[in-house]
Amino acid sequence: MSLKKQDEMDHNAWLKNQDLTVIETAFLTTLIWLDKRLRIVDYLELLETMYYRANLQMPKSHTEQYDLDNKFWYWYPLYSLGSLSIVAYLVAAVSGALLGFYYAPSTAGAAVQGDPTAAYDSLVMIMKDVQFGYMLRSIHRWAAQFMVAAVFLHMLRVYFTGSYKEPREVNWILGIVLIGLTLLFGFSGYVLPWKQLSYWAAQIGVEMALATPIVGEWAAQLLFGGFTLGQATLVRMYILHVFVLPFVVTGLIALHVGIVWVQGIAEPH
Amino acid sequence: MTDNDTPMTDGGTDTEARTDGGPPATVPPDDETPTWSDRKERSQGLAQLTYQYFERSRREDENLRAESTYVERDVLGFPTWPHETLRNLAITSFFVGIMILVAALMPAHFGEPANAGSTPAIILPDWYLYWSFGLLKLNPINPELAVLGGNIVMGNELLGIVAHGVIFGVIGLVPFLNKGSARRPVEQPFWAAVGVTGVVLAFTLAALAIQNFFPISLDLLITLTFLLPVLGGIITYAVLKTMREGYMYDLNRRYYMLRPPK
Repeated sequence: MSLKKQDEMDHNAWLKNQDLTVIETAFLTTLIWLDKRLRIVDYLELLETMYYRANLQMPKSHTEQYDLDNKFWYWYPLYSLGSLSIVAYLVAAVSGALLGFYYAPSTAGAAVQGDPTAAYDSLVMIMKDVQFGYMLRSIHRWAAQFMVAAVFLHMLRVYFTGSYKEPREVNWILGIVLIGLTLLFGFSGYVLPWKQLSYWAAQIGVEMALATPIVGEWAAQLLFGGFTLGQATLVRMYILHVFVLPFVVTGLIALHVGIVWVQGIAEPH
Repeated sequence: MTDNDTPMTDGGTDTEARTDGGPPATVPPDDETPTWSDRKERSQGLAQLTYQYFERSRREDENLRAESTYVERDVLGFPTWPHETLRNLAITSFFVGIMILVAALMPAHFGEPANAGSTPAIILPDWYLYWSFGLLKLNPINPELAVLGGNIVMGNELLGIVAHGVIFGVIGLVPFLNKGSARRPVEQPFWAAVGVTGVVLAFTLAALAIQNFFPISLDLLITLTFLLPVLGGIITYAVLKTMREGYMYDLNRRYYMLRPPK
């Protein structure tokens, strides 16, 4: 048996014989290059099989089955609220990442109580000096407001069309968790500028935590870094806002949408 | 075969401790792969229950499919490209555009720097937490919740926390209380009324949170906080009950037009 390469395995020669556009050639070359090293064709085949299985077993949606398309269209905006909250979330994520370049989570720099801190100054810098900074902050703030509004309206839509019913209880509860996390997102973002209202909102947060029996003091330590507000509070809120919550919320959104995909959309009669 | 010869899972027997690993474990040849029922008999406990349930659910699926009058058709509905994609792109761009427009028209404002020494006259969170803030201002009704000898059951702050728990708990319980295939509010006026009660309660609690802006007495405000939602619920119930007849007539007519009785 010879070790020479078989002609039929010469993919590059096969590629040359084909009459392909530049894009097709580039795509195939990349595919062949990757496949020689990683054998990705196996995985692609697996994915293809899964795709066809999933789609063949997908039942007809209610609108399709009862031909309700013509009665349904004017409700459509209410049915896009879920994806609109994801869109707002993405806008907030992008503008938030850009704001993060300039923001400093620090209470340093205040000689007397009531002096501007480093966090406050960085916000002033963003709004006055940074190119498009004012716009960026406004967009971030309004994206957050839109997201919360869309999430609340989404919940109302799901409630009043009975979409939470029997096989979908888990997703309803997951949605409640997501609303809570969205509110926590908003709250932690509200604290970050370290202005008067931020400070006293955080103060109410600490008092609420301390009023909770058994876990209260522990929760206050964990979330606010102590029983009085200061540098620790700001840094914890910052990490919560830019590190913990983004991962958790993105993951839960993926799960939420995934469950909708698996169970199908519950449409009204 | 005596009891002592009963083969163990490792292929050995109970009689003596083997240190050489025992005889080779038996691997069934391909044509003797155990069937589901074989596996079910061999396994025990939870694994056996799982197998049994799988068989049951598979049989149930088959029966349901056999009984179903459901007809699989070729793909109806919109194609993903270009219809769905363009529509979603349009909606998304419109939404993002509105967001940027609003951000341009009403840019974020800025307040005084934090000062632990001076409490501002009005402390407020963002609008979406007004309802939650309203729950923290329920302390005037705390004495009325007392059951034993007039002592309040819990502190004012704990009352606020418990109220949060109650609200989230009630919302979470909804799908376990309301089942069935009804989808429209007219089909279930009661549950629609519960929903409207909740929505109005969110607004009245928000009003309670910003009570300083309302030129009415606190007692009246708290009464209204709980009265208006109930009133809203009752009105919704009455209206939907009235509409129900007409709606159900149309609904039934459409249903029987699509699936005429045999």
